[in-house]
Amino acid sequence: MSVFMDLNVLFSADRSRMQSLVETAAHLGFSTVAINYVFEPTTKKKQEVPSPVPISELIGQLPVVQGRSRPIKVLNRLTVVMSEASHFRPNATEYRAFDLLAIQPTTEKLFHTTCMLCDVDIICISVTEKLPFFFKRAPINGAIDRGVVFEVSYASALRDSTMRRYTIANAVCLMESCKGKNVIVSSAAEKALELRGPYDIVNLGALFGLSDADSKEAVSSTCRAVLLHAETRKTASGIVYTRISQQEALQDCVGSRFFHIHESDHSTGKG
Amino acid sequence: MVALARQLDTSFVDGSSCEKIEATMVRVKSRYLLCEINVSDRRELLKLDDRAVAGTVKAAVARTHGDYGAALCSIRFCVKYLNAHTGIVFLRFPKGCYKLLWSALPFITSIECRGQIIPCFLNCLHVGGTIRTCQKFLIRYNTQQLHRMLPKCKNEEEKRQIQKAILSFSLTGGGNKALEDELESEEEDGE
Repeated sequence: MSVFMDLNVLFSADRSRMQSLVETAAHLGFSTVAINYVFEPTTKKKQEVPSPVPISELIGQLPVVQGRSRPIKVLNRLTVVMSEASHFRPNATEYRAFDLLAIQPTTEKLFHTTCMLCDVDIICISVTEKLPFFFKRAPINGAIDRGVVFEVSYASALRDSTMRRYTIANAVCLMESCKGKNVIVSSAAEKALELRGPYDIVNLGALFGLSDADSKEAVSSTCRAVLLHAETRKTASGIVYTRISQQEALQDCVGSRFFHIHESDHSTGKG
Repeated sequence: MVALARQLDTSFVDGSSCEKIEATMVRVKSRYLLCEINVSDRRELLKLDDRAVAGTVKAAVARTHGDYGAALCSIRFCVKYLNAHTGIVFLRFPKGCYKLLWSALPFITSIECRGQIIPCFLNCLHVGGTIRTCQKFLIRYNTQQLHRMLPKCKNEEEKRQIQKAILSFSLTGGGNKALEDELESEEEDGE
């Protein structure tokens, strides 16, 4: 049995909505869920990067995952929508509070910089508009070598027919260039009814042009690789790990588990 | 429904020429998809009926795959079983194109029944070649669901009822009926 993850669940201030989202995800069989805070900086006024609400405040009791005996894991993730190169500052202190970092580039030059240089885990491919640029093999291969993954989200496809066309078009373009490697499919769900079960998503991957095996990997093992990659960003070359002693219990056990895994799996090449 | 016409092949092998009369095995194969309908409000589930679900699936396939999908859907598609209390539905598709039709199911966002629109989504739990395999899976799945509900019980009486129901499962019809009553009463208490 493989571990399924949904790494993009949009944050909303409504606590009951987040609660029902996480419960539905646990019922469907997702072992890990990442709450996504979208940050769109504009040059007009200085904006603060949102800081994540602690998990224990947001959701009281974590529900047990369907088919397993562990409760679901909830992580924090930040997505920066970049339209200029100055929007993303590497090593900014606000980013340390998040477990995963993602970037959504809007121009071709930015896409190239993100793939080759920026220190992120996920590159989001926008699905709400026809892509203004084409994918080139060079930056995509560079990103794959570094361990960065590309993300396609499907919630907008569920809402509207034109969005569905854009999603499928952009996803098929991406799959052609990256040959199905290093891709994750996630919902950008705002409500509990926008989530879909893992086997349904695997089948949806076939619509996007992924083969069966690649499609299943997109929901399970590639997602796990992203989490490990995120851990290595916090460590120094993946060996030394420092943490503040008074952290929440949940972050402690996430950190120590990945620390042990990463030490032994250092030669997998994905970290 | 299932035509089983089997003629065993008789192969004649003699010195110079091999004559084989080909075996014609004609069995119509289908795939049964076990899906669960998830709604936000459990009471809405009771309003569903199988024709509404069938109509919704056909419309979604037509929207996603156009005329080709709608034509494939008319071959051997039907809703074989619907349990309004738990939201379990068995859909039958022909074996050759079930993946294509399955890929249209995530796009269902609501079911319309008798003029009311119920927002929901379909979650596929299991694909089987026969109804019997799907039923076996469903019994195991329902046992797991009862186990998950056990910690949420509020009083001892309900706990004992659930434990009795878990122990009394069988493949015959009797076990399933007891299960449905349990699930229905538990949902209202455990929520």
